[in-house]
Amino acid sequence: MATVLWGLVGMLVGCVLALQLAWWPANLSLPWTSFGRLRPLHTNAVIFAFPGNALFGGIYYSMQRLLKTRMWSDKLSAVHFWGWQTIIVLAAITLPLGMTEGKEYAELIWPVDLLIAVIWLVFAANFFGTIAIRKVKHLYVAIWFYMSMVITITVLHVVNNLALPATLTRSYPIYSGMTDALVQWWYGHNAVGFLLTTPILGLMYYFLPRAAQRPVYSYRLSIIHFWALVFLYIWAGPHHLLYSALPDWAQTLGMVFSVMLIAPSWGGMLNGLLTLRGAWDRLRTDPILKFWVAAITFYGMSTFEGPMMSIRSVNALSHFTDWTIAHVHAGALGWVGESVFAMLYYMAPRVWNRKLYSVSLATTHFWLATVGIVLYVVAMWSAGVTQGLMWRAFDDGGLLQYPNFVDTVRTLNPFYWIRLGGGVMYLVGMLVLAWNLYKTATSAPSNALEA
Amino acid sequence: MSERDKVLGHADEADGIEEFDNPLPTWWLGLFAGTVMFGIGYAVDYHFVSHRSQAGDYAAEVAAAPKPPAATAVAETPEAIAAGKEIFVANCVACHGTDLHGGVGPDLTDATWIHGGKLAEITHTITVGVPEKGMLTWGPILGPQKISQVAAFVHSSGGGQ
Repeated sequence: MATVLWGLVGMLVGCVLALQLAWWPANLSLPWTSFGRLRPLHTNAVIFAFPGNALFGGIYYSMQRLLKTRMWSDKLSAVHFWGWQTIIVLAAITLPLGMTEGKEYAELIWPVDLLIAVIWLVFAANFFGTIAIRKVKHLYVAIWFYMSMVITITVLHVVNNLALPATLTRSYPIYSGMTDALVQWWYGHNAVGFLLTTPILGLMYYFLPRAAQRPVYSYRLSIIHFWALVFLYIWAGPHHLLYSALPDWAQTLGMVFSVMLIAPSWGGMLNGLLTLRGAWDRLRTDPILKFWVAAITFYGMSTFEGPMMSIRSVNALSHFTDWTIAHVHAGALGWVGESVFAMLYYMAPRVWNRKLYSVSLATTHFWLATVGIVLYVVAMWSAGVTQGLMWRAFDDGGLLQYPNFVDTVRTLNPFYWIRLGGGVMYLVGMLVLAWNLYKTATSAPSNALEA
Repeated sequence: MSERDKVLGHADEADGIEEFDNPLPTWWLGLFAGTVMFGIGYAVDYHFVSHRSQAGDYAAEVAAAPKPPAATAVAETPEAIAAGKEIFVANCVACHGTDLHGGVGPDLTDATWIHGGKLAEITHTITVGVPEKGMLTWGPILGPQKISQVAAFVHSSGGGQ
């Protein structure tokens, strides 16, 4: 349930930031609450705390059932849980104090990085230990996706954070200049890929067919899109550095590998949606399936949008604008968030052996979340394209039409308010979820559900 | 239908989840093959056929863009100086101070001129800027007329030679 708590904190911080962008006095004139310091807190919370804990919970739940095996070591599971929460608390303290390594999504200072590595290896040992003693021969596809996360994140985290400590809170990366930037975006891009894409696809392969009680559409497709996805994903990082000092050939590499990612990404979407054949009628009544369908739809949309934004000429317009913000939020709120909600509504009654307190509240949550995302994303798309066009507008004399950056900010302000509205709706949805799960946990036990 | 919707029978090893082994959708395979071919074709074309590069694209865009006429020194008439003062207040005071005594940027009233104190030199410095020290390239922002006026104001306000 740490997921819900950190999710709330992360999104609350996100909404505060949205307010700061629309209304600058919300920075409160304090260094600890200024945008620059809270922004990494927001990104770390909604990447590593909210989905992180949800992933671990979903993996512990599903792998023990898929492998018919208790975790190799309950002690390691506990160390993993408390270690991860400690890391999050440390992040919540150090980031507002301005302690940072200055690398996006890898801001945490080196002692915390070391702790992450240790705790992650504890999880990895427990994970592979459990696979080693499993009681079934066949490894279900979900386990493959989990494995890709465990292995890849280890490599990414360690390589990107290699640094020479100077003091307890400061260190210098071992890479310099362009190499540092390239390593950083190899990390940044694949942290999204292997923490927020592949493991959630794995969870989808378990929780969606379980919830729909339908067979997975195609085993063949799952294997092929898995290998295509993990092979191609790892090369796409340079698309974050188009039109930079990065050599042209590396930029081309980043762009074409991103374009080739469309089909492998869509393989997961197809397998998800086609698995629902024969269960579409239940979409009307079952909020869990509603969440899955919306999540998969946002996934399909984002994984098409991403490659498009990697194309040089599109990137020339979209880079550094709010378009990017729209893209990541469609992914984070739509795909990751709604998948996590579907999983929570599925797991909670089964873990506590109680009936879900209110199905209609879950449906209310679905609509709040979905409409919230749409408002957010459409506002940021409009803002991003407007911004990009204003930056590159010249008048007939060859002069910039909007030489003052403030001109663009003034134009975008209404969009920032809409974005805040969407964000608040999503946050209210989270509160509804928290209330629903709390009431479920404290209600009388019922044996109405199958195990 | 023989191939379609046949379960594999792994369910007892996957917590009851059955799997079909349906063939890959043709359009999906086509999309995959198409993007791979596009990727290869694009890379070959960009680097070996069209010989494009970031630096080359930039040079071509600059060459194609309309050129703003260069600012030329104007007579220091009271009108030009008054207009220049307004522009100075709106754009320059943050660094050079309301009294022109400097701050982030250098003092404009003393006899020391880092980049030359003649009217033409001041006009040139404002137009191209000194980006390495934080002075913006005002040419494309203000345009030739306003630059001439603000140069006239600066030149007439103290240290000008």
